[in-house]
Amino acid sequence: MRPPAPLTEPIGSFIQSWARPACALSLKWVFAVVIATPILSGDARAAEQKGLLETMKRHSIITSTVPANGDQNPYAIVVAPVSAGKIQQGDVLVDNFNDRNNLQGLGTTIVDYNPTTKKLSLFAAIPRNLPQCPGGVGLTTAMTMLKTGWVIVGSLPSRDGTTKTKGQGCLIILDVQGNVSGTLTGPNINGPWGNMAVIDNGTTATLFVSNTGFDVGPPDDEPPVVNKATVLRIELSIPEGKLPTVTKETMIASGFGERADKDVFIIGPTGLALGNDGVLYVSDALGNRIAAIPNAATRADSAGTGREVTKDGLLKRPLAMIMAPNGHLLVTNGLNGQVVEIDPQSGTQIYARWVDANKAQSPPGSGDLFGIAMAPTGDSFYYVEDEVNMLVLAH
Amino acid sequence: MLSRLSPIGLSFCLTTHLALAQGTTISPSEPGFTTGLWTRGNLLGDAGGLRSELWNYGITFGVQDINEVWGNVSGGIQRGASYDGVTLMSVGLDTQRAFGWVGGTLNISGWNIRGRNIAANNLLNLQTPSGILASPTTRLWEVWYQQSFLDGRFDVKIGQQSLDQEFMSSQYSSLFLNTMMGWPMVPSADLYAGGPAYPLSSLGLRLRTQLGDGFTALGGVFQDNPPGGPFNDDGQLRGSTRWGGNFNLRTGALFIAEIQYALNQPNNGDMDYGRHAAGLPGTYKLGMWVDTASFPSPRFDNTGLSLADPLSTGVPQMLRNNFSIYGVVDQMIWRPAADSPQSVGVFARVMGAPGDRNLISFSVNAGITVKALLPGRDDDTMGIGFGIAKVSRAAASLDRDTVFFSGNPFPVRGAETFIEITYQIQANGWWQLQPDFQYVFNPGGGILKPNNPAQSVGNEAIFGLRSVVTF
Repeated sequence: MRPPAPLTEPIGSFIQSWARPACALSLKWVFAVVIATPILSGDARAAEQKGLLETMKRHSIITSTVPANGDQNPYAIVVAPVSAGKIQQGDVLVDNFNDRNNLQGLGTTIVDYNPTTKKLSLFAAIPRNLPQCPGGVGLTTAMTMLKTGWVIVGSLPSRDGTTKTKGQGCLIILDVQGNVSGTLTGPNINGPWGNMAVIDNGTTATLFVSNTGFDVGPPDDEPPVVNKATVLRIELSIPEGKLPTVTKETMIASGFGERADKDVFIIGPTGLALGNDGVLYVSDALGNRIAAIPNAATRADSAGTGREVTKDGLLKRPLAMIMAPNGHLLVTNGLNGQVVEIDPQSGTQIYARWVDANKAQSPPGSGDLFGIAMAPTGDSFYYVEDEVNMLVLAH
Repeated sequence: MLSRLSPIGLSFCLTTHLALAQGTTISPSEPGFTTGLWTRGNLLGDAGGLRSELWNYGITFGVQDINEVWGNVSGGIQRGASYDGVTLMSVGLDTQRAFGWVGGTLNISGWNIRGRNIAANNLLNLQTPSGILASPTTRLWEVWYQQSFLDGRFDVKIGQQSLDQEFMSSQYSSLFLNTMMGWPMVPSADLYAGGPAYPLSSLGLRLRTQLGDGFTALGGVFQDNPPGGPFNDDGQLRGSTRWGGNFNLRTGALFIAEIQYALNQPNNGDMDYGRHAAGLPGTYKLGMWVDTASFPSPRFDNTGLSLADPLSTGVPQMLRNNFSIYGVVDQMIWRPAADSPQSVGVFARVMGAPGDRNLISFSVNAGITVKALLPGRDDDTMGIGFGIAKVSRAAASLDRDTVFFSGNPFPVRGAETFIEITYQIQANGWWQLQPDFQYVFNPGGGILKPNNPAQSVGNEAIFGLRSVVTF
């Protein structure tokens, strides 16, 4: 006889990570490799390597990201640049967008995973209602830790898990003990959403923040796309021992598409990554493209939706994005379980790697990925599988 | 808007608020029970904090309640309607979360089974209309520990297990309600008590390994007879089996192995060079089981006479060992785009067993499912399927022997066929409603009515409605 589906899926069944076995080689290729290997220099081998993703061998589940209060849906990942207070350098901070009932826009916690002790601890539990944060608190992918120890995290809150009750949100400043020390609000901050790009000079810092909340309505059957999402540059002064203060803000990009969604709350520009040439790259989720904003740190005006670097192809609703040490962009897909590697100079999509092939979704891993962060070694990266609330390391 | 395209310059509108944490008055406006009630994945949500509190210790729990009504408007031994239902309770332990032991999962589950069995009371068909029909009781079901190794490439599961959870399964077939669409007819009819499958389970060891390139192998050895009784007295309520406490190890061993191939389904670590569009996903399985116990001949007694012979001892001849070979296909055949909710899938399961020691020597079930058939109903699924169970030549020969020795007309059993049309409504994240229609041709393979031996059991038209609530 047939039972209904099991209720407690074994955690192990979510783990499917292995390197594919090498293809069988014909004798002539074996001969060629054996003869040629000794004369190949390291540079030559590196030249054969097209990117970073192909060098990964394993995907290892690191930890559950659910804290004691039951918050779910991990979004932002930040690797601590310094040791300060509760945080050790190299710790992985992860925030949660959902509460314990899995309602979106109600998560208030940041957890701290220490790779040395392999322990997960609670870094911050932010009060649900901060008078200076309109609409409550729901932590987003916009998070960073500065060299001075301050942690700044975005909030795009809801009262019922949908954009019907969406608040304007804010940026919240936390001290090294995880206490709320201040907030950043204003008419140009509305739903700070995507992963931050940061220039951190110690006593000064520049934050790049995408805003996806302007004029977004409830998640009706077919909510309209509103082309009002922005990228804001926020320049901070950080006197020693004092709270960061805003010295300047500039809207450097605008007009990106944003819309409400009944499944994923909101869709809009989500990934921000800085190139060495001063270009800010933006993942335009609804446009299914990567855009470049030139002179992002210095420009005084908006570049609109920027120059198109690449579009469609392997991109399937690009979300969080980082710059790898090789100068390539790594971007997570929202509509499948792939990370795509892009050469931003040529605009070439090099390839994609399946990092979450969960067949419970169609396509596999759809809706599972969000945040991504390079590990300190530069040869591996952290990512979240938000459907199972897990932090994973590709290495 | 032009203003949004312009630089803002020095910010006086962007403000920094200081030192809020300790002195802020916090409004206790936690969402209430009804907040998000219609959109969440289970009815109780966090169950007032219980789920998250337990998860701090690595513990998860689930409760699923299934209720259904069935009625046959024609055929069977009588017409009528009845209710049945089950409640599944399960508790899991993630050992990493609980005490830092990586890769371990402990699972314990149990059933409350209730209501009337329309198949036994009205239909007498082989392929009963609902997979949850069983003898009413409350019992322990599975108790197992699974340990994964090598980042999940290999895992071992040991303990009290129900094989229908992992073996012979079909993704698309699981939409349907008929028993045959779940645990198929061959093991249901040919193994002791239907084998270690719902609502039973038995002790055993299962190994599984990911072979790469889409291949997975799994196999194991289990105790073959959960109640531990003789073949004709191995009911679900026998002794301590009633409450699931019969951890029997005294009877035969059931060896089972299955190789699975996942077509167009990526694995973690696969690279995508974007050279061609991914094909439609499918899963193909080939497996077999071998049982070391002895099985009664459906035709002969222990002296070699037909069981229909007046001189027969009435004690069936016992034949050592039993086996079956099976194949399962699940293949998506259409979808408009890779990220579309719409798709069409087909499935088929075929299996056979020796005809001299089994009631059913061959069974097949197949069908087609259509997801998101109606506009705005992305999570609903419609399906049309059928199943055929062929009565073995030995059982059919016994019927002929009965005619020969009695001199009276008696039907010779052949095959029973049913068709099923179903529509699963995903009302919300925690509630499914599923109206269902089945029509059974030649119930029982062709048998007489016990309450009126002058007539055969007529073809049956059956309507049903199932509700599934996940708490």
